[in-house]
Amino acid sequence: MRKPLLLLGGLLLVLGCLTWIFQARWPIVDVQAASLPKVVLSAESLAPRPIEQRTGEAVTHDYAQAWQDLADGLDTNRTDLLGDYFTGEAKVRFTQRIKEQRNTGLRTRYQDNGHHVKAVFYSVDGGEMQLEDEVQLEVQVFDGQKMIYTSNSPQKYLVLMTPGSDRWYVRCLESVPEETF
Amino acid sequence: MRRLIRKLCFAIVCAALPALSQKVAIHAPSSVSAGSSLAITTTGSGSATLYLIGPSRVRKQSIKLGQQVEISGQDVAASGNYRAVTCDSEGCVSAVFQVLPAKPTRLAFMLHPSRVPVSTPKAVNGTALVSDRYHNTVIAPTKVDFHLSLGGESSTRSVQSVRGIAWFEIGSRPKQGALQVVASVDDTAEPRVIQQVAAEACGLRMSAAPSGHLVKLQTDPIRDCAGNPLPDGTIVSFTKTDAAGKSTVDTPIKKEKATAQFEVSGPAHISVACGVVVGNELTLGGRP
Repeated sequence: MRKPLLLLGGLLLVLGCLTWIFQARWPIVDVQAASLPKVVLSAESLAPRPIEQRTGEAVTHDYAQAWQDLADGLDTNRTDLLGDYFTGEAKVRFTQRIKEQRNTGLRTRYQDNGHHVKAVFYSVDGGEMQLEDEVQLEVQVFDGQKMIYTSNSPQKYLVLMTPGSDRWYVRCLESVPEETF
Repeated sequence: MRRLIRKLCFAIVCAALPALSQKVAIHAPSSVSAGSSLAITTTGSGSATLYLIGPSRVRKQSIKLGQQVEISGQDVAASGNYRAVTCDSEGCVSAVFQVLPAKPTRLAFMLHPSRVPVSTPKAVNGTALVSDRYHNTVIAPTKVDFHLSLGGESSTRSVQSVRGIAWFEIGSRPKQGALQVVASVDDTAEPRVIQQVAAEACGLRMSAAPSGHLVKLQTDPIRDCAGNPLPDGTIVSFTKTDAAGKSTVDTPIKKEKATAQFEVSGPAHISVACGVVVGNELTLGGRP
């Protein structure tokens, strides 16, 4: 009689521990997710193909993650941080930028105050999506410990994203003049 | 004599003062075309450090204030915002300028799908991304020509790019074969090919030639409704039902026809199908 009770007690204890672990773990993921730059995506004028809700959520998340990786990469001069959400020309350019920052002793710190992103083109075959991004970005450039440049102004970016096996990649991320859109 | 020297010194100091007190400033053109060299000018005197910070390049060099600094086209190949910063012992000043895309010379062209049935509405689509020689997206509207050709027929449609993207969507042509689509901007052309294949079989018919316990089956030439022969290798299914039960033979089309052979016991019922199309049915040896 005692053995089943002990077993049941042990099982409850394990379940309790697991519950505690999961409860403790999920808030960390939430905090990490919350630490991503704020991205608000609108797709009212998207053509020629409408966007599915899940796709919109994935694009929003992956674009925010790409900016987070870019900010971390430029701040720490680590090119390996660009590997997860950048591809193509965007990856080539930012990798070169980080390498040259490292060679000259510079680093750049972004204070990202949020993106208003408008999806404007989604190809019929679903292979390309173009975004217009208005971001409020505070930029600080350091040479060693000395801050040599700072600015805090809205900037506009034209973005091309393409889908991969499990995520959307930033293929082009180009700052454009104010009057572009 | 002393007075003269004093006056001379005073005059020299007075002449030098404006230069000494001149504040450091930096000037750059508000915008340049990607890959074009530019000059950055500074005012002031003494030595300083010039930083050029762009989307893909970072340059740091010692300069003499008051002199012009030449920036090569290679340093401003990527379009976007650039910051030119000059720092001396007093502090830093900066100028921001924009590098705009150069003229369009590159096309990335995606054509879908790679294989398509004939006469299908909105079945073919293409997207062309317009960029300059440095891979910058050409934002200015650009006319992109899509030239379509199949056999002896050809047509061209021109599309104005919007933010560097031009696209089209058309139905597939009624004739099977290689549909070539060439996207072009000025002297740049990107060809792609789609294979147009026959649509579903149309009027599928078979005939039987009984020979003892065997029956040989052969279809008429299998074509779609536009007369395009279905490609060799397309599977045709013959199904026989008789006293022995039901059996199916899947056989590929060879030279427009499919053949099969069954052993029959007593009356038999045979049907033929290709894809979603069902052909005629045959009854051999009376009703099954």
